[in-house]
Amino acid sequence: MSFPSSKKITRILGAELDKLVTLPSIWLTLTGTFILNLLLAAAFTSVGLQGAAGTQSILNIGLASMRYLQAGFIILGILATCSEYTGGQIRSTLTTIPWRGVQLSTKHFALAIITIPAAFIMAASGVLYTFTMMRDTAVVIEIDTMIKTLLGTTGYLTCTTLLSAAIGALFRRTTPALVVLLGYYFVVSPLTRDFPPRIRKFFPDTAGYYMYLPPSSVKLNFLTPMQGAGISMLWTLIFITVAIVLFRKRDA
Amino acid sequence: MRAFNAELSKLFSLPGIWLAFLIGAFAPAVIAALDSMAQKEEIIAGVSTRLSEVGYIGLALGVQGVIILGVLAVSSEYLTESSESGGGQQITTSLTVVSSRLHFLLAKAGAVTVISILLSVVAIMTTVSATHLVLGEYTPAFEWPKLLGAVCFWAFTALLAFGITVLTKHGMIPLAVLIINTSFVSFSFLLSKVTKLALYLPDRAGFEMFMFLSNRFLTPFTGGLVMFAWVVVLFIAAAIVFHRRDVAS
Repeated sequence: MSFPSSKKITRILGAELDKLVTLPSIWLTLTGTFILNLLLAAAFTSVGLQGAAGTQSILNIGLASMRYLQAGFIILGILATCSEYTGGQIRSTLTTIPWRGVQLSTKHFALAIITIPAAFIMAASGVLYTFTMMRDTAVVIEIDTMIKTLLGTTGYLTCTTLLSAAIGALFRRTTPALVVLLGYYFVVSPLTRDFPPRIRKFFPDTAGYYMYLPPSSVKLNFLTPMQGAGISMLWTLIFITVAIVLFRKRDA
Repeated sequence: MRAFNAELSKLFSLPGIWLAFLIGAFAPAVIAALDSMAQKEEIIAGVSTRLSEVGYIGLALGVQGVIILGVLAVSSEYLTESSESGGGQQITTSLTVVSSRLHFLLAKAGAVTVISILLSVVAIMTTVSATHLVLGEYTPAFEWPKLLGAVCFWAFTALLAFGITVLTKHGMIPLAVLIINTSFVSFSFLLSKVTKLALYLPDRAGFEMFMFLSNRFLTPFTGGLVMFAWVVVLFIAAAIVFHRRDVAS
């Protein structure tokens, strides 16, 4: 088969997108996360409404559900890579696309295409809900701060998803990958809160946290959003590279 | 009894179970050690407000091991084999051998309970020694009733994970929800700020068995009773659903 190289990439990307879009659990995860996000936003808003009026920012409350929301995106990333290994789909995939490096990197790219709009919609819907409920009581913020924060959130969630996909490709089984990632993001990371921020700011989730931290926050910001994005992307790229190298070496 | 032995053997031969044992035995010790290190100075100075929680916090937040155990026990039965080896599910074989569905469920729940109790005993030993290692002579005494409460908490958590997974048939959602709920950003903690009723949720009620929370709500015994009621209700629901459901679907 002789295709020009650019056409080859397009066809592989199309195939990978097709596989992701037709995976029912992807849609279940996305819908579930969306509904959960709205419920959590409602809970946080009602907690915020009980507090002192006029002191909280809409962004802080609207994005408070982000800690939970990332779980949905972790699942999304793991599903995308691990679904190949349940039932031996990976062998058909590699028969049709015998370039392993290209295949896995295209898969991550296709995943990013799905994740970016989904992450943006979810982050925006959370903030929007808080905005409509708390218009009278909370501090009003400028529109460009809001857009910047939303973009940071989208970037953070996309990085998390791609990182999870790489980890999923490393483990090739859903359960260990899920346990390791959830254990890191929800148990280990909060436990290391006492570590000096000098070290902690380089962790993948804390670095990503600075991407959407509102600039007006009273806490000390150790990294600018750009630096946070850089470190977080670096982690993602490292893991994707390791996954690709191992994928090329290992027996499928 | 033979069904129970079979379930034990199936559980021990699962690859993921070793992960559960590893996490279950060491995660509480690590959490307790980190927490003790963080407040060592306060304890030595005698100003710590959380003296009664030392060590127990590891047992409260380190239950991921038994959650994995409970979830895996069921989700492994429903895992579809690859098409190359027939595309079957273990559950069809299991139900061919043990044809009474209630017996099957009871045997499985029994195996999960026994293993989680053993695991909690191991976890208590590692946690207590880790706390002693960090705090030395300042370690508060561990009392038997509270340790018993911790064992109950672990067994009930495993059974909750078990029951939820029977309902969902898929391991991912219960695993994600339950692990997040054991963390510092738990759903029940958030809900308890919204409504007082959330204090009756299984994990909050279960904490009362062995942790002195700052705002105490239930006595240790009622806390355990509330959590046990959750387990029973969930188990009955799981048994009814499991009894009526077509295995192939």
